[in-house]
Amino acid sequence: MLVVIALLSLVLLCFASWHPEGQVLPTPLAIDYPSYFGHRISRPPANPTTVEGVRLGRMLFYEPALSASGKVSCASCHKQQFAFADDRRFSAGVDGTLLSRNTMSLANLLWVRQFFWDGRTRGLEAQAKEPLTHPHEMGQALAISVRKLEQSELYPAYFRAAFGIDRIVGDHVLNALAQFQRTLVSAGSLYDHYLRGGYVPSDSENRGMALFFNAPGGQPRGAGCAHCHGGPQTYQELFHNNGLDAFPPDSGRKAVTGQEYDNGRFRVTTLRNIALTAPYMHDGRFQTLKEVVDHYSEGVANSQTLSPFLKDRDGKPTRLRLSSQEKIDLLAFLQLLTDSTFITDERHSNPFKN
Amino acid sequence: MKGYKLFLLALSALVSGHQFLCAQTPSISVTGEVARPLSLTPDIWAELPREQAELKDRNGESRLFSGVPIQVVLERAGVTTGDQLRGGNLTKYVLVKCADGYEVLFSLAELDSSFTDRRVILADSLASEPLPLSMGPYRLVVPGEKKPARSAYQVTEISVKHAATD
Repeated sequence: MLVVIALLSLVLLCFASWHPEGQVLPTPLAIDYPSYFGHRISRPPANPTTVEGVRLGRMLFYEPALSASGKVSCASCHKQQFAFADDRRFSAGVDGTLLSRNTMSLANLLWVRQFFWDGRTRGLEAQAKEPLTHPHEMGQALAISVRKLEQSELYPAYFRAAFGIDRIVGDHVLNALAQFQRTLVSAGSLYDHYLRGGYVPSDSENRGMALFFNAPGGQPRGAGCAHCHGGPQTYQELFHNNGLDAFPPDSGRKAVTGQEYDNGRFRVTTLRNIALTAPYMHDGRFQTLKEVVDHYSEGVANSQTLSPFLKDRDGKPTRLRLSSQEKIDLLAFLQLLTDSTFITDERHSNPFKN
Repeated sequence: MKGYKLFLLALSALVSGHQFLCAQTPSISVTGEVARPLSLTPDIWAELPREQAELKDRNGESRLFSGVPIQVVLERAGVTTGDQLRGGNLTKYVLVKCADGYEVLFSLAELDSSFTDRRVILADSLASEPLPLSMGPYRLVVPGEKKPARSAYQVTEISVKHAATD
Protein backbone atom coordinates (compact mmCIF):
# COMPACT_ATOMS: atom_id res chain seq x y z
CA MET A 1 0.00 0.00 0.00
CA LEU A 2 2.85 2.36 0.90
CA VAL A 3 4.35 1.78 -2.53
CA VAL A 4 1.02 2.67 -4.16
CA ILE A 5 0.75 5.87 -2.14
CA ALA A 6 4.34 6.79 -2.98
CA LEU A 7 3.67 6.23 -6.68
CA LEU A 8 0.48 8.26 -6.53
CA SER A 9 2.31 11.10 -4.84
CA LEU A 10 4.96 10.98 -7.56
CA VAL A 11 2.27 11.16 -10.24
CA LEU A 12 0.65 14.10 -8.48
CA LEU A 13 3.95 15.93 -8.30
CA CYS A 14 4.47 15.42 -12.02
CA PHE A 15 1.29 17.38 -12.73
CA ALA A 16 1.99 20.18 -10.31
CA SER A 17 4.47 23.02 -10.58
CA TRP A 18 6.88 24.46 -8.03
CA HIS A 19 6.26 27.90 -6.64
CA PRO A 20 9.43 30.01 -6.27
CA GLU A 21 9.15 29.72 -2.51
CA GLY A 22 9.05 25.95 -2.71
CA GLN A 23 5.30 25.41 -2.47
CA VAL A 24 3.80 23.13 -5.07
CA LEU A 25 1.05 24.89 -7.02
CA PRO A 26 -1.77 23.07 -8.79
CA THR A 27 -1.77 23.15 -12.58
CA PRO A 28 -4.42 25.40 -14.18
CA LEU A 29 -6.83 23.43 -16.37
CA ALA A 30 -8.42 24.98 -19.45
CA ILE A 31 -11.86 23.51 -20.00
CA ASP A 32 -12.39 22.72 -23.66
CA TYR A 33 -15.72 23.74 -25.17
CA PRO A 34 -16.94 24.94 -28.56
CA SER A 35 -17.01 28.70 -29.14
CA TYR A 36 -20.68 28.46 -30.18
CA PHE A 37 -21.52 27.73 -26.53
CA GLY A 38 -20.44 31.29 -25.73
CA HIS A 39 -18.13 32.38 -22.97
CA ARG A 40 -20.62 33.51 -20.36
CA ILE A 41 -19.40 30.90 -17.94
CA SER A 42 -19.27 30.72 -14.15
CA ARG A 43 -15.85 30.03 -12.70
CA PRO A 44 -15.36 31.79 -9.38
CA PRO A 45 -11.84 33.28 -9.04
CA ALA A 46 -11.65 31.80 -5.53
CA ASN A 47 -11.87 28.28 -6.95
CA PRO A 48 -9.87 28.10 -10.18
CA THR A 49 -10.16 24.85 -12.10
CA THR A 50 -6.97 22.82 -11.88
CA VAL A 51 -5.79 19.39 -13.00
CA GLU A 52 -5.35 18.31 -9.37
CA GLY A 53 -8.64 19.79 -8.19
CA VAL A 54 -10.63 18.12 -10.96
CA ARG A 55 -8.94 14.77 -10.31
CA LEU A 56 -9.79 15.01 -6.63
CA GLY A 57 -13.33 16.13 -7.43
CA ARG A 58 -13.80 13.12 -9.67
CA MET A 59 -12.71 10.80 -6.85
CA LEU A 60 -15.04 12.52 -4.38
CA PHE A 61 -17.93 12.34 -6.87
CA TYR A 62 -17.63 8.55 -6.80
CA GLU A 63 -16.75 8.30 -3.09
CA PRO A 64 -19.42 6.53 -0.96
CA ALA A 65 -17.57 7.43 2.26
CA LEU A 66 -19.13 10.89 1.88
CA SER A 67 -22.50 9.38 2.85
CA ALA A 68 -23.78 8.38 6.27
CA SER A 69 -24.28 4.78 5.16
CA GLY A 70 -20.95 4.58 3.35
CA LYS A 71 -22.85 3.23 0.35
CA VAL A 72 -24.12 6.28 -1.54
CA SER A 73 -22.03 8.61 -3.68
CA CYS A 74 -23.02 11.48 -5.98
CA ALA A 75 -22.75 8.95 -8.80
CA SER A 76 -25.37 6.68 -7.21
CA CYS A 77 -28.05 9.01 -8.57
CA HIS A 78 -26.07 10.93 -11.22
CA LYS A 79 -25.15 7.99 -13.45
CA GLN A 80 -22.79 8.60 -16.32
CA GLN A 81 -24.61 6.24 -18.68
CA PHE A 82 -27.70 8.45 -18.32
CA ALA A 83 -25.76 11.71 -18.82
CA PHE A 84 -25.41 11.92 -15.03
CA ALA A 85 -29.17 11.73 -14.45
CA ASP A 86 -31.06 8.86 -12.80
CA ASP A 87 -33.28 6.45 -14.70
CA ARG A 88 -35.65 6.29 -11.73
CA ARG A 89 -38.53 8.73 -11.31
CA PHE A 90 -37.29 9.65 -7.84
CA SER A 91 -33.88 8.71 -6.48
CA ALA A 92 -33.46 7.26 -2.99
CA GLY A 93 -30.65 8.27 -0.69
CA VAL A 94 -29.12 6.81 2.49
CA ASP A 95 -32.39 6.30 4.36
CA GLY A 96 -34.32 4.91 1.40
CA THR A 97 -36.72 7.86 1.29
CA LEU A 98 -37.60 8.87 -2.23
CA LEU A 99 -36.71 12.45 -3.13
CA SER A 100 -39.51 14.78 -4.12
CA ARG A 101 -38.08 15.77 -7.50
CA ASN A 102 -36.41 13.97 -10.39
CA THR A 103 -32.60 13.88 -10.40
CA MET A 104 -31.21 16.37 -12.89
CA SER A 105 -28.64 15.61 -15.57
CA LEU A 106 -25.19 17.12 -15.02
CA ALA A 107 -24.02 18.48 -18.34
CA ASN A 108 -22.68 21.87 -19.33
CA LEU A 109 -23.00 23.24 -15.80
CA LEU A 110 -20.29 25.76 -16.60
CA TRP A 111 -23.08 27.91 -18.06
CA VAL A 112 -25.52 27.45 -15.18
CA ARG A 113 -25.67 30.04 -12.41
CA GLN A 114 -28.63 28.95 -10.28
CA PHE A 115 -28.96 25.29 -9.38
CA PHE A 116 -31.70 22.76 -8.66
CA TRP A 117 -35.13 22.63 -10.27
CA ASP A 118 -36.08 25.83 -8.45
CA GLY A 119 -32.75 27.64 -8.81
CA ARG A 120 -32.43 28.05 -5.06
CA THR A 121 -28.64 27.90 -4.94
CA ARG A 122 -26.08 30.05 -6.70
CA GLY A 123 -22.86 28.39 -7.81
CA LEU A 124 -21.72 24.78 -7.93
CA GLU A 125 -19.75 25.10 -4.70
CA ALA A 126 -22.86 25.98 -2.70
CA GLN A 127 -24.93 23.44 -4.62
CA ALA A 128 -22.65 20.55 -3.68
CA LYS A 129 -23.31 20.98 0.03
CA GLU A 130 -27.01 20.17 -0.15
CA PRO A 131 -26.98 16.59 -1.48
CA LEU A 132 -23.98 15.75 0.71
CA THR A 133 -25.73 16.76 3.90
CA HIS A 134 -29.45 16.34 3.15
CA PRO A 135 -30.84 13.56 5.39
CA HIS A 136 -32.62 11.88 2.47
CA GLU A 137 -29.64 12.10 0.11
CA MET A 138 -26.13 11.39 1.41
CA GLY A 139 -27.03 12.44 4.94
CA GLN A 140 -23.62 13.21 6.39
CA ALA A 141 -22.37 16.46 7.93
CA LEU A 142 -19.42 17.94 6.07
CA ALA A 143 -17.34 17.83 9.24
CA ILE A 144 -17.76 14.05 9.42
CA SER A 145 -16.89 13.66 5.73
CA VAL A 146 -13.78 15.75 6.30
CA ARG A 147 -12.75 13.59 9.26
CA LYS A 148 -13.18 10.41 7.20
CA LEU A 149 -11.13 11.86 4.36
CA GLU A 150 -8.37 13.05 6.70
CA GLN A 151 -8.17 9.62 8.27
CA SER A 152 -7.97 7.83 4.94
CA GLU A 153 -4.59 6.79 3.54
CA LEU A 154 -5.53 7.96 0.09
CA TYR A 155 -6.99 11.45 0.26
CA PRO A 156 -4.69 13.81 2.23
CA ALA A 157 -2.04 13.78 -0.55
CA TYR A 158 -4.67 14.56 -3.17
CA PHE A 159 -6.04 17.48 -1.15
CA ARG A 160 -2.49 18.76 -0.62
CA ALA A 161 -1.84 18.61 -4.35
CA ALA A 162 -5.16 20.27 -5.24
CA PHE A 163 -5.20 23.04 -2.66
CA GLY A 164 -1.73 23.16 -1.12
CA ILE A 165 -3.13 22.50 2.34
CA ASP A 166 -2.27 20.15 5.18
CA ARG A 167 -5.65 20.31 6.85
CA ILE A 168 -8.84 19.56 4.92
CA VAL A 169 -11.92 21.70 5.53
CA GLY A 170 -15.42 21.32 4.12
CA ASP A 171 -14.95 24.01 1.48
CA HIS A 172 -12.14 22.01 -0.10
CA VAL A 173 -14.55 19.11 -0.61
CA LEU A 174 -17.15 21.40 -2.18
CA ASN A 175 -14.56 23.18 -4.31
CA ALA A 176 -13.14 19.95 -5.70
CA LEU A 177 -16.61 18.61 -6.53
CA ALA A 178 -17.46 21.90 -8.25
CA GLN A 179 -14.25 21.81 -10.28
CA PHE A 180 -14.96 18.30 -11.50
CA GLN A 181 -18.53 19.10 -12.42
CA ARG A 182 -17.41 22.13 -14.42
CA THR A 183 -15.51 19.77 -16.71
CA LEU A 184 -18.68 17.82 -17.59
CA VAL A 185 -19.00 19.42 -21.00
CA SER A 186 -21.19 17.64 -23.51
CA ALA A 187 -20.44 18.84 -27.03
CA GLY A 188 -19.88 15.67 -29.01
CA SER A 189 -23.35 14.89 -30.32
CA LEU A 190 -24.33 14.51 -33.96
CA TYR A 191 -25.89 17.95 -33.64
CA ASP A 192 -22.45 19.30 -32.73
CA HIS A 193 -20.99 17.54 -35.78
CA TYR A 194 -23.72 19.22 -37.83
CA LEU A 195 -22.87 22.63 -36.32
CA ARG A 196 -19.23 22.06 -37.23
CA GLY A 197 -20.17 21.09 -40.77
CA GLY A 198 -19.37 17.40 -40.40
CA TYR A 199 -22.80 15.81 -40.42
CA VAL A 200 -25.67 16.06 -42.87
CA PRO A 201 -29.01 15.53 -41.10
CA SER A 202 -31.62 13.26 -42.66
CA ASP A 203 -34.79 14.80 -44.11
CA SER A 204 -36.71 13.91 -40.97
CA GLU A 205 -34.01 15.38 -38.70
CA ASN A 206 -33.96 18.56 -40.79
CA ARG A 207 -37.73 18.92 -40.56
CA GLY A 208 -37.50 18.29 -36.81
CA MET A 209 -34.83 20.96 -36.48
CA ALA A 210 -37.02 23.46 -38.30
CA LEU A 211 -39.94 22.59 -36.03
CA PHE A 212 -37.71 22.99 -33.00
CA PHE A 213 -36.33 26.40 -33.91
CA ASN A 214 -39.24 28.03 -35.73
CA ALA A 215 -42.09 29.84 -34.00
CA PRO A 216 -45.62 28.40 -34.16
CA GLY A 217 -46.75 31.28 -36.36
CA GLY A 218 -43.67 31.17 -38.59
CA GLN A 219 -43.03 29.84 -42.08
CA PRO A 220 -42.51 26.92 -42.14
CA ARG A 221 -44.50 26.48 -39.01
CA GLY A 222 -42.61 25.57 -35.88
CA ALA A 223 -43.26 24.21 -32.43
CA GLY A 224 -41.45 27.12 -30.77
CA CYS A 225 -39.24 24.88 -28.59
CA ALA A 226 -36.22 27.12 -29.08
CA HIS A 227 -37.98 30.06 -27.49
CA CYS A 228 -36.94 28.57 -24.16
CA HIS A 229 -34.53 25.77 -25.15
CA GLY A 230 -32.76 27.97 -27.67
CA GLY A 231 -29.23 28.22 -28.95
CA PRO A 232 -26.66 25.52 -29.66
CA GLN A 233 -26.64 24.52 -26.00
CA THR A 234 -30.42 24.01 -26.09
CA TYR A 235 -30.35 25.78 -22.74
CA GLN A 236 -31.15 29.18 -21.32
CA GLU A 237 -31.30 29.95 -17.63
CA LEU A 238 -35.06 30.34 -17.37
CA PHE A 239 -37.79 29.24 -14.99
CA HIS A 240 -41.24 28.65 -16.40
CA ASN A 241 -44.54 27.01 -15.62
CA ASN A 242 -44.83 24.66 -18.57
CA GLY A 243 -48.45 23.75 -18.06
CA LEU A 244 -48.19 20.38 -16.36
CA ASP A 245 -51.04 21.11 -13.92
CA ALA A 246 -53.87 23.57 -13.59
CA PHE A 247 -53.13 23.62 -9.86
CA PRO A 248 -49.44 22.83 -9.40
CA PRO A 249 -49.02 20.46 -6.44
CA ASP A 250 -45.38 21.52 -6.13
CA SER A 251 -45.04 25.30 -5.94
CA GLY A 252 -41.52 25.16 -7.42
CA ARG A 253 -39.71 28.47 -7.48
CA LYS A 254 -42.40 30.16 -5.41
CA ALA A 255 -41.05 28.36 -2.34
CA VAL A 256 -37.73 30.13 -2.96
CA THR A 257 -38.88 33.64 -3.82
CA GLY A 258 -42.19 33.87 -1.98
CA GLN A 259 -43.71 35.39 -5.12
CA GLU A 260 -47.08 34.25 -6.36
CA TYR A 261 -45.97 34.68 -9.97
CA ASP A 262 -43.39 31.92 -9.40
CA ASN A 263 -46.00 29.31 -8.48
CA GLY A 264 -45.35 26.11 -10.42
CA ARG A 265 -42.25 27.48 -12.11
CA PHE A 266 -39.30 25.18 -12.63
CA ARG A 267 -35.99 25.29 -14.46
CA VAL A 268 -36.03 25.02 -18.23
CA THR A 269 -33.57 22.17 -18.61
CA THR A 270 -30.92 21.58 -21.21
CA LEU A 271 -32.06 19.19 -23.92
CA ARG A 272 -28.54 17.89 -24.40
CA ASN A 273 -28.68 14.08 -24.03
CA ILE A 274 -32.43 14.31 -23.48
CA ALA A 275 -33.00 10.85 -24.99
CA LEU A 276 -30.86 9.42 -22.16
CA THR A 277 -32.43 11.19 -19.22
CA ALA A 278 -35.93 9.71 -18.90
CA PRO A 279 -38.16 10.03 -17.00
CA TYR A 280 -38.97 13.67 -17.70
CA MET A 281 -40.11 16.84 -15.91
CA HIS A 282 -39.40 17.86 -12.32
CA ASP A 283 -41.60 15.06 -11.07
CA GLY A 284 -40.58 12.48 -13.64
CA ARG A 285 -44.18 12.04 -14.76
CA PHE A 286 -43.39 11.29 -18.40
CA GLN A 287 -41.64 8.05 -19.22
CA THR A 288 -40.86 8.81 -22.84
CA LEU A 289 -39.94 11.76 -25.03
CA LYS A 290 -43.05 10.99 -27.07
CA GLU A 291 -45.16 11.77 -23.99
CA VAL A 292 -43.27 15.04 -23.57
CA VAL A 293 -43.92 16.05 -27.16
CA ASP A 294 -47.58 15.05 -26.77
CA HIS A 295 -47.79 17.31 -23.72
CA TYR A 296 -46.51 20.37 -25.56
CA SER A 297 -48.61 19.51 -28.60
CA GLU A 298 -51.99 19.10 -26.96
CA GLY A 299 -51.65 18.69 -23.19
CA VAL A 300 -50.66 22.09 -21.77
CA ALA A 301 -52.87 22.98 -18.80
CA ASN A 302 -53.89 26.56 -18.12
CA SER A 303 -53.17 28.26 -14.84
CA GLN A 304 -52.53 31.73 -13.50
CA THR A 305 -48.80 31.35 -13.91
CA LEU A 306 -48.64 29.37 -17.15
CA SER A 307 -45.74 30.68 -19.24
CA PRO A 308 -47.01 33.35 -21.64
CA PHE A 309 -44.96 31.57 -24.30
CA LEU A 310 -47.26 28.56 -24.00
CA LYS A 311 -50.39 30.63 -24.56
CA ASP A 312 -52.01 31.55 -27.82
CA ARG A 313 -53.11 35.04 -28.79
CA ASP A 314 -56.36 34.62 -26.92
CA GLY A 315 -54.57 33.73 -23.71
CA LYS A 316 -55.50 30.05 -23.94
CA PRO A 317 -52.95 27.22 -23.66
CA THR A 318 -51.21 26.62 -26.97
CA ARG A 319 -52.51 23.65 -28.93
CA LEU A 320 -49.85 22.93 -31.52
CA ARG A 321 -51.65 19.78 -32.67
CA LEU A 322 -48.53 18.40 -34.29
CA SER A 323 -49.16 15.69 -36.86
CA SER A 324 -47.80 12.17 -36.29
CA GLN A 325 -45.08 12.88 -38.83
CA GLU A 326 -44.17 16.18 -37.16
CA LYS A 327 -43.81 14.40 -33.85
CA ILE A 328 -41.60 11.76 -35.44
CA ASP A 329 -39.47 14.53 -36.98
CA LEU A 330 -39.15 16.43 -33.72
CA LEU A 331 -38.13 13.27 -31.90
CA ALA A 332 -35.57 12.55 -34.63
CA PHE A 333 -34.00 15.94 -34.02
CA LEU A 334 -33.95 15.41 -30.23
CA GLN A 335 -32.06 12.15 -30.78
CA LEU A 336 -29.32 14.18 -32.48
CA LEU A 337 -28.58 15.77 -29.10
CA THR A 338 -27.30 12.49 -27.63
CA ASP A 339 -23.57 12.61 -26.97
CA SER A 340 -22.28 9.07 -26.85
CA THR A 341 -18.74 10.27 -26.13
CA PHE A 342 -19.92 12.11 -22.99
CA ILE A 343 -21.37 8.98 -21.41
CA THR A 344 -18.26 6.94 -22.08
CA ASP A 345 -15.61 9.61 -21.45
CA GLU A 346 -13.07 8.08 -19.07
CA ARG A 347 -12.23 11.51 -17.67
CA HIS A 348 -15.69 11.52 -16.11
CA SER A 349 -15.93 7.87 -15.15
CA ASN A 350 -15.45 6.11 -11.81
CA PRO A 351 -11.70 6.37 -11.09
CA PHE A 352 -11.87 3.47 -8.66
CA LYS A 353 -12.92 1.09 -11.43
CA ASN A 354 -10.20 1.95 -13.95
CA MET B 1 -46.70 9.70 22.34
CA LYS B 2 -50.08 10.98 21.18
CA GLY B 3 -49.30 14.39 22.69
CA TYR B 4 -45.94 14.40 20.92
CA LYS B 5 -47.67 13.73 17.58
CA LEU B 6 -50.15 16.51 18.23
CA PHE B 7 -47.28 18.85 19.03
CA LEU B 8 -45.60 17.93 15.74
CA LEU B 9 -48.84 18.49 13.85
CA ALA B 10 -49.29 21.90 15.47
CA LEU B 11 -45.68 22.78 14.70
CA SER B 12 -46.12 21.70 11.10
CA ALA B 13 -49.28 23.83 10.77
CA LEU B 14 -47.43 26.78 12.26
CA VAL B 15 -44.56 26.36 9.81
CA SER B 16 -46.97 26.09 6.85
CA GLY B 17 -48.79 29.19 8.03
CA HIS B 18 -45.50 30.99 8.41
CA GLN B 19 -44.56 30.12 4.82
CA PHE B 20 -47.91 31.44 3.69
CA LEU B 21 -47.40 34.68 5.60
CA CYS B 22 -43.91 35.05 4.16
CA ALA B 23 -45.22 35.87 0.67
CA GLN B 24 -42.95 38.67 -0.49
CA THR B 25 -44.04 42.03 -1.84
CA PRO B 26 -42.57 42.30 -5.32
CA SER B 27 -40.01 45.04 -5.76
CA ILE B 28 -37.26 46.07 -8.16
CA SER B 29 -33.69 46.46 -6.98
CA VAL B 30 -31.31 48.87 -8.68
CA THR B 31 -27.72 47.79 -8.20
CA GLY B 32 -24.19 48.09 -9.56
CA GLU B 33 -22.69 51.37 -10.76
CA VAL B 34 -25.10 53.45 -8.72
CA ALA B 35 -24.50 56.12 -6.12
CA ARG B 36 -27.50 54.93 -4.09
CA PRO B 37 -28.58 51.29 -4.39
CA LEU B 38 -32.34 51.21 -4.42
CA SER B 39 -35.11 48.82 -3.63
CA LEU B 40 -38.17 50.13 -5.41
CA THR B 41 -40.85 49.24 -2.90
CA PRO B 42 -44.47 50.23 -3.58
CA ASP B 43 -44.04 53.27 -1.28
CA ILE B 44 -41.13 54.67 -3.25
CA TRP B 45 -42.77 53.68 -6.53
CA ALA B 46 -45.86 55.73 -5.67
CA GLU B 47 -43.74 58.91 -5.34
CA LEU B 48 -42.26 58.70 -8.83
CA PRO B 49 -43.54 60.63 -11.86
CA ARG B 50 -45.49 58.61 -14.40
CA GLU B 51 -45.70 58.46 -18.17
CA GLN B 52 -47.46 56.42 -20.80
CA ALA B 53 -45.95 54.38 -23.61
CA GLU B 54 -47.37 52.36 -26.49
CA LEU B 55 -46.47 48.86 -27.49
CA LYS B 56 -47.91 46.55 -30.12
CA ASP B 57 -49.06 43.18 -28.82
CA ARG B 58 -48.75 39.85 -30.64
CA ASN B 59 -51.88 40.64 -32.64
CA GLY B 60 -50.31 43.88 -33.89
CA GLU B 61 -52.68 46.06 -31.86
CA SER B 62 -51.31 49.08 -29.99
CA ARG B 63 -51.73 48.90 -26.22
CA LEU B 64 -51.24 51.82 -23.87
CA PHE B 65 -49.16 51.08 -20.81
CA SER B 66 -48.36 53.45 -17.98
CA GLY B 67 -45.60 53.49 -15.41
CA VAL B 68 -42.36 55.20 -14.48
CA PRO B 69 -39.68 56.18 -17.03
CA ILE B 70 -36.62 54.04 -16.46
CA GLN B 71 -34.48 57.17 -16.61
CA VAL B 72 -36.29 58.49 -13.52
CA VAL B 73 -35.42 55.27 -11.70
CA LEU B 74 -31.79 55.48 -12.81
CA GLU B 75 -31.55 59.11 -11.68
CA ARG B 76 -33.06 58.24 -8.33
CA ALA B 77 -30.29 55.65 -7.87
CA GLY B 78 -27.62 58.19 -8.83
CA VAL B 79 -26.64 56.63 -12.13
CA THR B 80 -24.60 58.82 -14.51
CA THR B 81 -27.32 60.23 -16.76
CA GLY B 82 -27.78 63.46 -18.74
CA ASP B 83 -24.70 65.72 -18.62
CA GLN B 84 -22.70 63.04 -16.82
CA LEU B 85 -23.26 60.54 -19.59
CA ARG B 86 -20.07 61.09 -21.59
CA GLY B 87 -16.51 59.80 -21.88
CA GLY B 88 -15.98 56.56 -19.96
CA ASN B 89 -19.57 56.58 -18.74
CA LEU B 90 -20.62 55.76 -22.29
CA THR B 91 -19.22 52.26 -21.76
CA LYS B 92 -21.83 51.57 -19.10
CA TYR B 93 -24.79 49.33 -19.71
CA VAL B 94 -27.99 48.29 -17.98
CA LEU B 95 -28.82 44.63 -17.50
CA VAL B 96 -32.50 44.18 -16.76
CA LYS B 97 -33.28 40.92 -14.96
CA CYS B 98 -36.68 39.27 -14.75
CA ALA B 99 -38.34 36.82 -12.38
CA ASP B 100 -38.15 33.94 -14.88
CA GLY B 101 -34.41 34.42 -15.37
CA TYR B 102 -34.77 36.33 -18.64
CA GLU B 103 -32.29 39.17 -19.11
CA VAL B 104 -32.04 42.03 -21.59
CA LEU B 105 -29.37 44.64 -22.05
CA PHE B 106 -29.31 48.32 -23.00
CA SER B 107 -26.44 50.72 -23.27
CA LEU B 108 -27.01 53.55 -20.82
CA ALA B 109 -27.21 56.02 -23.69
CA GLU B 110 -30.16 54.11 -25.20
CA LEU B 111 -32.23 55.00 -22.16
CA ASP B 112 -31.18 58.61 -21.74
CA SER B 113 -33.26 61.57 -22.89
CA SER B 114 -30.13 63.55 -23.77
CA PHE B 115 -29.46 60.93 -26.47
CA THR B 116 -32.89 59.80 -27.59
CA ASP B 117 -36.50 60.91 -27.60
CA ARG B 118 -37.66 57.34 -27.03
CA ARG B 119 -38.96 56.93 -23.50
CA VAL B 120 -38.61 53.44 -22.09
CA ILE B 121 -40.89 52.93 -19.12
CA LEU B 122 -41.26 50.41 -16.34
CA ALA B 123 -44.97 49.82 -16.64
CA ASP B 124 -47.27 48.67 -13.87
CA SER B 125 -50.59 49.07 -15.66
CA LEU B 126 -52.26 48.39 -18.96
CA ALA B 127 -55.34 50.40 -19.91
CA SER B 128 -55.51 51.67 -16.33
CA GLU B 129 -55.60 48.14 -14.89
CA PRO B 130 -52.74 46.49 -12.98
CA LEU B 131 -50.71 44.16 -15.18
CA PRO B 132 -51.79 40.50 -15.16
CA LEU B 133 -49.76 38.13 -12.94
CA SER B 134 -47.99 36.61 -15.95
CA MET B 135 -46.59 40.02 -16.96
CA GLY B 136 -46.37 42.09 -13.85
CA PRO B 137 -46.26 43.65 -11.47
CA TYR B 138 -43.61 45.53 -13.45
CA ARG B 139 -42.62 45.13 -17.07
CA LEU B 140 -40.48 47.06 -19.51
CA VAL B 141 -42.15 48.84 -22.38
CA VAL B 142 -39.66 49.70 -25.11
CA PRO B 143 -41.51 51.59 -27.83
CA GLY B 144 -40.47 51.62 -31.45
CA GLU B 145 -38.69 48.27 -31.72
CA LYS B 146 -39.52 45.76 -34.44
CA LYS B 147 -39.54 42.90 -31.93
CA PRO B 148 -40.95 43.08 -28.41
CA ALA B 149 -38.13 40.92 -27.06
CA ARG B 150 -36.69 43.67 -24.85
CA SER B 151 -40.07 44.65 -23.45
CA ALA B 152 -39.47 42.10 -20.74
CA TYR B 153 -42.03 40.87 -18.21
CA GLN B 154 -41.75 40.74 -14.42
CA VAL B 155 -38.70 42.93 -13.97
CA THR B 156 -36.98 42.31 -10.63
CA GLU B 157 -33.57 43.93 -10.96
CA ILE B 158 -31.86 46.72 -12.86
CA SER B 159 -28.13 46.23 -12.74
CA VAL B 160 -25.86 49.01 -14.04
CA LYS B 161 -22.42 47.83 -15.08
CA HIS B 162 -19.26 48.98 -16.79
CA ALA B 163 -18.14 47.07 -19.87
CA ALA B 164 -15.29 44.78 -18.86
CA THR B 165 -11.75 45.78 -19.71
CA ASP B 166 -9.84 43.46 -22.03
